[in-house]
Amino acid sequence: MCKYAASRKSKISSNCVLSAPSFVFSSNVVMRSVSIAIRASGRIIHFFVHAIVSKSSKMMFESSQFDSQAGSGGGFFSSQNADSSRTSAKSRDNQPMCPVTVKQIVEASSADDKSNFLIDGIDVYNVKLVGMVFEKSARNTDASFVIDDGTGRIACHRWINDPQDTEEVEELMDGMYVRVHGHLKTFQAKKQVVVFAIRPVNDYNEIATHFLECIHAHCCNNKSQNNGSSAPAASTAVATQSGHQTVPSTQVSQEYNVDGLGSIDKMVLDYLQLPSSLTDERGVHRNEIAQKLKLSQEKIIETMEALETEGLVYSTIDEFHYKSTAS
Amino acid sequence: MDTSNPAVFVNSELLRLHVGRRVRAVIQVLKSDGGGSVIGKSTDDQQLVIKGYPSAPLSTFVEVIGIAEGNQSIRAEIFTNFGDVFDMSCYNAVCQLANRDYKHLFL
Repeated sequence: MCKYAASRKSKISSNCVLSAPSFVFSSNVVMRSVSIAIRASGRIIHFFVHAIVSKSSKMMFESSQFDSQAGSGGGFFSSQNADSSRTSAKSRDNQPMCPVTVKQIVEASSADDKSNFLIDGIDVYNVKLVGMVFEKSARNTDASFVIDDGTGRIACHRWINDPQDTEEVEELMDGMYVRVHGHLKTFQAKKQVVVFAIRPVNDYNEIATHFLECIHAHCCNNKSQNNGSSAPAASTAVATQSGHQTVPSTQVSQEYNVDGLGSIDKMVLDYLQLPSSLTDERGVHRNEIAQKLKLSQEKIIETMEALETEGLVYSTIDEFHYKSTAS
Repeated sequence: MDTSNPAVFVNSELLRLHVGRRVRAVIQVLKSDGGGSVIGKSTDDQQLVIKGYPSAPLSTFVEVIGIAEGNQSIRAEIFTNFGDVFDMSCYNAVCQLANRDYKHLFL
């Protein structure tokens, strides 16, 4: 039974159209990939998230990098790969990276003394910003600069650990637009960003896109706060980081139950879990299910695929017969 | 860290609301005569006059950050070349969102 489910699962996940986020980090750090299964529209899409631990065992988190396609001002991002290394993941590696404006950071309240920031009611640790570099000053071991994104200015700090970091910092010049990934901390009563990745912006549509992402994330967070269930952001926001934010907090759209199954999927599953279906070793032919539940062929095929991906059913004597995995 | 120098995202229709304040706008350069003014088309297809001396030759799309002087002119402090490919309508949408519904994220 397991091998059927596993083989179908891998087939389906390889068909998933999804650009895996890619990550940037120093070569001397250790990183381990953690796969997180996230459901969207009832299908499982596997994201690979790399958590980084630096030499001083300071924690860093998933950083993703997007390159917007020329002229596209939004929509899908193509990812680009950089070198990666393995680290051990710690408990905070589920923290998503939030696109924010400097004004949001400035207004973020500090939840407690552990330097956790609340933006729109969400604990924010990792952020990404797009803005102009000012007052850059680079030394041997670190570099500091100010990022101005039009909504405010914030001080940023970049520790230099290896030649790649030095190169990254050397490229920066005052007045240049960059995308910064880092985490927030308070230093001497001022908020600061400890940066772990800086990229110059090459396609300036990225600026507009970043602000749209901030707005979108803000929208999603507020909506989820207001009514405890969000719009189907989990399914539509696959390409954007805000999707990462909403999914871990178990928000589902109104038409889905907590398992993330559609109502039709649930009906089929219920049918397959009837005692009569369970006892039959050969399973139930999908035509029979379609007939009994009055579903069209395409619908039943789609549903069976979804349930199989979830690991809730498996095919038995041939690909038309299915049985529920629950017994 | 401070929030001084915030620059509001504007197109030509929003420019008049922020006269005297620091604004930022992206224009498509129509005429740049090097004589201290640049004529450009804003993201909502209106003509704007940008006063200032760009430090480098301008590309097709330029972002200007400066003080709004009138309903149609900006005294630019910074010119940033945005290249030759840019989605004006997307930026226009950002301007509108930043000034209306989501003002609290930007200003």
